[in-house]
Amino acid sequence: MNETYRFIGKGTPRKDGVDIVTGKARYIDDVRPGPMLHGKVLRSPFPHAEIKKIDTVKAKAAPGVRAVLTHADVPPWMTGMPRHVKVLDQRVRFVGDAVALVAADTLEQAVAALDLIKVVYEKLPAVFDMDAALAPGAPRLHDMFPGNVVSDFPAFGPNTLSKVVRGDVEKGFKDADFISEGTFGYENFANPLPIEPPGVIAQWEDEQRLTVWSGTQSASWHRWIMQSKMGFPDIRAITTQCGGSFGSKNYAPQCMFYAAALAKATGKAVKVSYTKDEHFGAFVLRLGSRFCGKIGMKKDGTVTALAGEWMVDNGAFSDMSQSQIAVGCGEAQLVINCENWNLSTKLVCTNRCPAGVIRGFGGQELESAFAPLLADVMTQAELDPVEFFKKNYVKPGGQYIWREGNLWTCRGKDYTKAMEKGAAEFKWKDKWKGWLKPTSAEGSQRTGVGVGIHGNADVGEDDSEAYIRLNADGTATIHASVSESGMGQRSSLCKMAAEILQLPLAKVHMTPPDTLVNPFDFGLVGSRGTYAVGSAVIDAAEDALKQLFGRAAPMLGVQSQDLETRDARIFVKGKPEQALTWSKAIGIMRSVTGYGEFKADYSVPNFLILFVEVEVDTDTGGIKLKKVTTATDAGRIIDPPSLHGQLFGALGSAGLDTAIFEETIIDKKSGHMLNMNLTDYKWRTFNELPEFNNIILETPFPTHRFKAIGIGEISTSPGPGAVLMAVSNALGKPLHEYPLTPDRILKACGKEKGNPK
Amino acid sequence: MIQTKNRQKKAITLTVNGNLHKLNIGDQPHEISPSYTLAQTLRETLGLTGTKVGCDQGACGSCTVIMDGKPVLSCMTLAIECHGSKITTIEGLADSITGKLHPVQDSFVKHSAFQCGFCTPGIIMASKSLLDRDPSPDPHHVKEALSGHYCRCISHYQVVEAVMDAADKGGQADE
Amino acid sequence: MKTFKHFDAESVDHVLAILARYHGKTALMAGGTDLIGVLKSEILPEYPKIIINLKTIAGMNTIKMVDKECRIGATARLADIAASGLIQKIFPALAAAAESVGSPELRNMGTLGGNLCQDTRCWYYRYPDKMGGRIPCYRKGKGPCHAVKGENRYHAIIGGKKCYAVCPSDMAIALAALDARVKIIGPGGSRLVPILDFYNVLCTILNPDEMVTEVRIPEPGKNTVQAFYKNRPREAVDFAVVSVAVRLERTGDVCKDACIILGAVAPVPYRAVAAEEAVRGRRLHEIHAADAAKAAVKDARPLSQNAYKIEIAKTLVKRALLSF
Ligand SMILES: Cc1cc2nc3c(=O)[nH]c(=O)nc-3n(C[C@H](O)[C@H](O)[C@H](O)COP(=O)(O)OP(=O)(O)OC[C@H]3O[C@@H](n4cnc5c(N)ncnc54)[C@H](O)[C@@H]3O)c2cc1C
Ligand code: FES
Ligand code: FES
Repeated sequence: MNETYRFIGKGTPRKDGVDIVTGKARYIDDVRPGPMLHGKVLRSPFPHAEIKKIDTVKAKAAPGVRAVLTHADVPPWMTGMPRHVKVLDQRVRFVGDAVALVAADTLEQAVAALDLIKVVYEKLPAVFDMDAALAPGAPRLHDMFPGNVVSDFPAFGPNTLSKVVRGDVEKGFKDADFISEGTFGYENFANPLPIEPPGVIAQWEDEQRLTVWSGTQSASWHRWIMQSKMGFPDIRAITTQCGGSFGSKNYAPQCMFYAAALAKATGKAVKVSYTKDEHFGAFVLRLGSRFCGKIGMKKDGTVTALAGEWMVDNGAFSDMSQSQIAVGCGEAQLVINCENWNLSTKLVCTNRCPAGVIRGFGGQELESAFAPLLADVMTQAELDPVEFFKKNYVKPGGQYIWREGNLWTCRGKDYTKAMEKGAAEFKWKDKWKGWLKPTSAEGSQRTGVGVGIHGNADVGEDDSEAYIRLNADGTATIHASVSESGMGQRSSLCKMAAEILQLPLAKVHMTPPDTLVNPFDFGLVGSRGTYAVGSAVIDAAEDALKQLFGRAAPMLGVQSQDLETRDARIFVKGKPEQALTWSKAIGIMRSVTGYGEFKADYSVPNFLILFVEVEVDTDTGGIKLKKVTTATDAGRIIDPPSLHGQLFGALGSAGLDTAIFEETIIDKKSGHMLNMNLTDYKWRTFNELPEFNNIILETPFPTHRFKAIGIGEISTSPGPGAVLMAVSNALGKPLHEYPLTPDRILKACGKEKGNPK
Repeated sequence: MIQTKNRQKKAITLTVNGNLHKLNIGDQPHEISPSYTLAQTLRETLGLTGTKVGCDQGACGSCTVIMDGKPVLSCMTLAIECHGSKITTIEGLADSITGKLHPVQDSFVKHSAFQCGFCTPGIIMASKSLLDRDPSPDPHHVKEALSGHYCRCISHYQVVEAVMDAADKGGQADE
Repeated sequence: MKTFKHFDAESVDHVLAILARYHGKTALMAGGTDLIGVLKSEILPEYPKIIINLKTIAGMNTIKMVDKECRIGATARLADIAASGLIQKIFPALAAAAESVGSPELRNMGTLGGNLCQDTRCWYYRYPDKMGGRIPCYRKGKGPCHAVKGENRYHAIIGGKKCYAVCPSDMAIALAALDARVKIIGPGGSRLVPILDFYNVLCTILNPDEMVTEVRIPEPGKNTVQAFYKNRPREAVDFAVVSVAVRLERTGDVCKDACIILGAVAPVPYRAVAAEEAVRGRRLHEIHAADAAKAAVKDARPLSQNAYKIEIAKTLVKRALLSF
């Protein structure tokens, strides 16, 4: 902590800041790589049907139309885990599922042609929730998933975590002082809903070479993961500025399939940009989650056993659900320190818009479903939840099985102090009056407080590579495949490099996110930017400096280790007059390139505690968020505004507000998604912001040179459970259902009685 | 019987960021259809892609531009109905010669009052318009003025700070 | 958006002439904040061939007092109504209603006429065509009201019959309480219709060859008090779950006369006559307000998911009555 830095820890302007505020920043709908056709998707009116006939003659003959594709003539590419999702299928599995594709000269022409495609469907019975999907005789969505259960878990190798079985639960329950049991759901199917709808532009350079531009979170995924789904073409993936992702736009396999298929059919570049309706109704939602089981606990908060089944609804198909289940199972072990586990999982298909990757990544879904059970057992024990979390969150030396099935030992830090600091700021001790007790009650206004925690061991997830090129003109170029979707990580990585190279920030640049010019990177998934990608960049910068000093040392007649650099000049330590410019050391027709890499490390979990105070109006059922405090330990803050932004994000992207108003509403007979617009899908407005404080400690972590870890991904996760707790306390009644809409609140208050006599 | 001119306009003129544009109405390339929204026209016809379209239904504010002194939603405005209007978009805020940022833009950069930045042009236009009308708003006014703007990343707190900071500076950009 | 022909209206007569000539194939465009959404989503099977821009009619956006009557032109913007000193002083309930609509940008665009004539927000009715096809329903002339057996948390609790969509207009609620009349002009001349008579269960009483030009509100008596309350999930960009507008005539603290209108509970603005009776001639306090609140919802027959609206309606009535 006593190290002082030139850039690290200071709020520096984002490198793309001026572009963003002047409108120059280019998002996918702003780029025009060349002349393009526009692709549109004809979508299914039925939740489940077989396509018997498609007549495309009229559409093909319509003005401007260049191609119309159906299941009969799309390329044989497949996505899904395991592979079960075609580009277009003869079977449609949710209202809004893709039926046919059109490419035309203009968007208007493409849209008009959709109306000319005539389809004959044979309707099939549909299932909209897990109970119906699992019932005997239920219609089967995919031939390869009998009973609508996906049992294949290839996500992270042969031992991918699909259950947690440790110790002896029977004994554990015997040792328990309190046992709680029940079934609780987190089945809002909330939408992370970045403001920008997804879009992809595809162009085939030749038979085997495909270029794709996309507004997504990771260029690498569009090359590396998509290659395997498309018969290994040589994909050059470029990402533009991304208008928010929250995981949902890590990649966009469907959009990319459509654009690439149409591009192949027409021999032209094709852009497929979803409308907001499509973004809502045919992109990705959060997993549905239900926990059915029991927990045993001792008086002092020691959890003695945890057993049950985690049921996960992934909608019509699964792309990353198994990965989320694996990580969710891992995260549960971080939050609950327990020796005896028997947690099984079941992944179920239903006729809904599919689930995708979303910030919270399984853990939010599991823990939110689990929150009422935890609350119940603590209520029995009359245990302060902060004390429970302090006792149970994984500590250095603690062990957990991570997503790939290996047992890891925590090398991280003890977060007790962060919890205490957060509690102090929030004034938890004053506001917490015990379980199911309001903090205050005046007339119809009742206030209550709640708290939740979350953590993820993904800060060192997967591998990264980076190059850094030192240029004779005293600039440095980072080659890393890092896209910008809002975390400011491209700037923060430049900062880390600038700190090591001691160059002004303005002299450090990063190549555009383009797989042609950059080495592999897993992308900014989870919270891996700071540690994983950061390590690769730091490593590359150090390697480059080593080479630079190696060249300069003989010129200055000293050893490498005697040298240091600042602002593109190399000095002999303690003898600033003995110096050399980079240009001299490098040579004007040369450059120096350093290489850095990072290998996955799951031993350093991050952590967030979130306190919330709500005010409930018992006469209208309305919930007002009064105050939110988060607390964490980041090791070392790289860029304060970016980190605060990530933590404020607790209120966005299907996070905390999934306990108050966020949900996807479908008609339970027809499967139509009804609130697919920003009026009916509720979100938090500027004039309803709670007071919000972030307490961020900086205890050095055993990670990289700057001893920092990432936090961004987890901020949405502790909120929903915390709100449930706060509202339950305010009303003096345990509430279990998400979201806590006015009808549920009024019912809990005994007020909504239906028809007045 | 009154004389009715049941004719559609043949062309419109728009002053966008101080530049006068004459646009013909029609269905040829480079013409605008009567159904074109102002957002479409700015972005596709005039190439001013700084104005963003988030929801295209009037509910997110990302397409906000200033028209004749007021913030309006360009996705819910027909271009053909903007004939003779003066429009300012995000591209028109910085000094066109020196490139010097408008104080609100400057303040947004200073406070990193954005994450993904997609909502930012709309929010800046609404903020600028607010400060034009009320140079010293309190935070409550700022929040009310921005209440129609969706920001999923939750940059709200930093936005309010940035707008207040710009207001405190009395419209002077940092040097 | 699919294309159409677009005419700028020069005068009301001009509008009438176009309406007559292209009978039923037209749509009137004021602020466009509602209409453009309807067109983009292609929710209706009939797409207009001609759009008539009303904003070009000179002088139809004014707000003025004439003979103890306030006249607000149909194209007056909601922002101007909300900010008008005249309205704020004499019709605070109307100013509050205008201020509660959508967002500042929407109020800069949306007009009074458009607000009164806007189409319903029922989510079945509004289902976008390109997401698998629009949903036919009773209101569209074919099929049942899907809300009855479907998702109906925002639908009518009173007076729904064949269609349970609610009237979404906030202005209509305040105007009804203020005893306003709508001026309609058509081929047969003009007529003044009380707001409550302006709506029928499927929409407004406007014929396809008519338009609204003005709203007239009588100046209230000296001892009149008024209030508008709106409950909604979100404090901006949101329609009412329930709204209430109240106008009371008082002598001292006794209520001489009352007009209580509930919004978003019925297909049309709902006049809570029984609630009015409960307070008429009485002192206003907790007990009478509670009685009135109960009476206000006595006709409520909620659907499967919207009984909570009854409770909210009661609360709003009570709070509005006790706010004076
Ligand atoms: C996100 C969002 C939020 C909203 N929130 C609210 C809200 O909280 N409360 C609320 O009340 N409304 C709300 N609205 C609805 C609507 O935008 C406003 O009510 C607005 O006032 C409509 O006026 P306009 O001039 O834009 O109408 P337009 O869209 O121009 O017209 C609406 C309809 O009225 C007809 N019409 C317009 N003028 C006349 C006339 N003079 N004579 C006859 N017919 C006419 C049109 O043909 C059209 O069918 C919201 C809309 C959106 C998009
Ligand atoms: S894009 Fe115009 S309001 Fe959302
Ligand atoms: S910064 Fe991403 S939506 Fe506002």
